[in-house]
Amino acid sequence: MELLTGIFVTPFVQMVTLPDFFLQVLWEGFVGGVLYALIALGFVLIFKASGVFNFAQGIMVVFAGLTLVGLHENGVPAYLALILTIGVMGLLAILVERFVMRPLVNQADIILLMATIGLTIFLIGLGEFIFGGEPKQMITEELGLPTGSTAIEIGSDGLLILQHIDIAAAVIAITMVAILGVFFNKTRIGRALRAVADDHQAALSVGISLNQIWAIVWFAAGIVALATGIMWGARSDVSFALEIIALKALPVLILGGFTSIPGAIVGGLIIGIGEKIGEIYWGPLMGGGIESWLAYMIALIFLLFRPQGLFGEKIIERV
Amino acid sequence: MSAVQDQAHTSQPAPGEVLLEVDNISLSFGGVKAIRDVSFDIRIGEVRAIIGPNGAGKTSMLNVINGFYHPQEGTITFAGKTRRNVRPYEAAASGIARTFQNVALFKGMSTLDNIISGRTLHMKTGFLWQLIHWGPAEREEIANRRKAEEIIDFLEIQHIRKTPVGRLPYGLQKRVELGRALAAEPKLLLLDEPMAGMNREEKEDMSRFILDVNSQFGTTIALIEHDMGVVMDLSDRVVVLDYGRKIGDGTPSEVRGNQDVIDAYLGVSH
Repeated sequence: MELLTGIFVTPFVQMVTLPDFFLQVLWEGFVGGVLYALIALGFVLIFKASGVFNFAQGIMVVFAGLTLVGLHENGVPAYLALILTIGVMGLLAILVERFVMRPLVNQADIILLMATIGLTIFLIGLGEFIFGGEPKQMITEELGLPTGSTAIEIGSDGLLILQHIDIAAAVIAITMVAILGVFFNKTRIGRALRAVADDHQAALSVGISLNQIWAIVWFAAGIVALATGIMWGARSDVSFALEIIALKALPVLILGGFTSIPGAIVGGLIIGIGEKIGEIYWGPLMGGGIESWLAYMIALIFLLFRPQGLFGEKIIERV
Repeated sequence: MSAVQDQAHTSQPAPGEVLLEVDNISLSFGGVKAIRDVSFDIRIGEVRAIIGPNGAGKTSMLNVINGFYHPQEGTITFAGKTRRNVRPYEAAASGIARTFQNVALFKGMSTLDNIISGRTLHMKTGFLWQLIHWGPAEREEIANRRKAEEIIDFLEIQHIRKTPVGRLPYGLQKRVELGRALAAEPKLLLLDEPMAGMNREEKEDMSRFILDVNSQFGTTIALIEHDMGVVMDLSDRVVVLDYGRKIGDGTPSEVRGNQDVIDAYLGVSH
């Protein structure tokens, strides 16, 4: 009985009696969700265009962040460093296309997945070789990102504190998603990306250059990785530990569907908010720390009922 | 890519002239010889059939023509340009479109999107215009959409314009695939068993479309087909392959009387 009350009554009573705290939890979850969504977005881009689950997306986030900070540490002005980092991500895209994707055209998906795992290990090594293994401070202020916070009064004595950097993260994420959504659904290159994802040979036969499309999509994923690296780095540090957080994108993708940009966003928000609320209100029942696995549980349950995800394309296989 | 196309335009041959010439092509995979020293030509405006028993090298031949396979020997001359190896998208840019034996559509997309995809090479606006989706990019999108709608009307598939093609029955998928190839406005259309697995009625529809494409658009067609009745009705000239070799070439009636061809199809007692 006590357990049932703990599960079904107490958390909701807490939510109602301390609404400002509840809102704060929601906000934290929302911001976490936005960052998950950004990472998932990088995965979706590459998956959509090549059917490859890009294991290296996490390390690309770290790599982009480290490049940006590393350049600045060596005396490059912040904005120039940002532009150079975009250039580096473009170069990385071209190299990945040339030396990883191109030799593996028409190979099974699992082989391409293995190739991205190899790429991950390579980038970890390269990153540590160039920038060293210590965590670095993100150059938030130098990039002109807001740092302060705003307190909003809730009711008579409640307070909701919003970090400006979090607001900026949300705005940037939403803008990116909007642009990419239009790009994918309404344009020739977007259509070509989807065509390549569906059938390599058919795409080639209508005159789509796989090489060009892959370079574009890895570049786009690199830009998303850079944005994620900046935002996430601003909240903690830029370190190789971030690579692990990228695995949180998996449940997000299962929820949202591997091919859907809006899905990545909604999935990210559900996971972000769900795990925060779960941790705060239900976590104590299980001794806390459920945040680290709750996301995967949510995804697992979801998988039972909607394997293609919330917005995934339902492809009917004919046998 | 555009250089290839420009060149193709300037050297456009007149009707009746040779559009594609296959010269002494040999293709092998390891020790397996798929095509052995095959030569033939395709003239402008004709329907050219490639027939032969299973494993004769017919599909390999199409794959060589559109750049999926790179032959070890021989050359291909298309619209006055001679080459051995070509990348598939370069072949597409020079005016070769194709369909596949096992339908290869973009299954997640609608019929309309599939057909517009066929117009990829007619769309030129740059990455940045595409990104903001405005001005030239938008005008181009509308123009190409109109072309795609014309093809949809032509193939009588208006009712499935918005349907994801993965949900369509097989016969209609084949038709959409033909539409996608037509959308490219190709000089040479390669059809790999356009009627495989169809019932009689569907075959008749497809035959009619193929003849209409040939007569209305003047498109040169090379097709692989197993149904001999269809081949005899549709094609102007037939090339016959067996075990990778060419064993016959001529009008349908010539080929039908060729002893080698009869042996290959019916078997010969030793």
